[in-house]
Amino acid sequence: MPSQSGPGSPPTLTPPSQEALIALAARGDSDAFGLLVAPHLGLFSNGIRRILGNAADTQDTLQNALLSMYQDLPAFQARSRFSSWAYRICINAALMFRRAKGRFREEAMDDCPGLGRFDERGHHLERGADWAVPPEALAEAERGQLRACLLKALEGLPEAQRVVFILRDLEDWTTEEIAERLEQTPAAVRQRLHRARVQIQSSLKEHVQGRPR
Amino acid sequence: MKLMPSCREVREHLTEYAEGALPWRERLAMRFHLLVCGACNAFFRGLQRLPGMARLILAQPDAPPPDEAVKALEAVLRRLGGGPRD
Repeated sequence: MPSQSGPGSPPTLTPPSQEALIALAARGDSDAFGLLVAPHLGLFSNGIRRILGNAADTQDTLQNALLSMYQDLPAFQARSRFSSWAYRICINAALMFRRAKGRFREEAMDDCPGLGRFDERGHHLERGADWAVPPEALAEAERGQLRACLLKALEGLPEAQRVVFILRDLEDWTTEEIAERLEQTPAAVRQRLHRARVQIQSSLKEHVQGRPR
Repeated sequence: MKLMPSCREVREHLTEYAEGALPWRERLAMRFHLLVCGACNAFFRGLQRLPGMARLILAQPDAPPPDEAVKALEAVLRRLGGGPRD
């Protein structure tokens, strides 16, 4: 929408507000829909990819999620943030996709090397990993290494553990919400969450514990 | 769980402990162990801080969207084609 910024000066273009884009997209303006969702594409695709684990499935699922957003937009209530509402649609689409592929493979639950090493009485032989160096204190290059290490650790988890960790610790769902959605007991969710946390913490150990002074 | 659980037993149940999902007797045994065992206490603190740290590490607000995301949006916009909503 052009607007005059003063006598003699060229007209400047004011980008439409998010509210205006929502209203236009809800009436069927697909260009407005594109402008509305484009700033959030990275957020949406990262959320889906963490659950599904590969680019091809992510692309298909994001496509379905975007179509759902477009269809549901007339019912969108401005009480919530658009990005939060839309992100939830993406996560649900990823969970539906995963469910359509079949139930989780059952993973072995009896071995968890990330717990540490113990003697025959179960007493620890090494100290647990605490965050000696908080990530915000690291240089960008080190944070990049930490990010790559975390993503690799996530990809290395059994699928059931990865999804539970993502929903509980990254998406902030409650244990009960996850149990209901994944059709597991809360106890099974906690057990998988614990295995996932322990394995991830173990994978990040050298970053977590910091460097010797 | 025994009244005096081992480090292994304690470390196996820390998420249930943190979520208040253990019976009171086991919760008490865990709490006592964590008070006296610095190694398990450090392990527990690390686990408790992990979710916040993971969110912080993965946050990339200014990163460009990956190719698959751009392709998905392009496909959707082609499909919608600018026509009126049904």
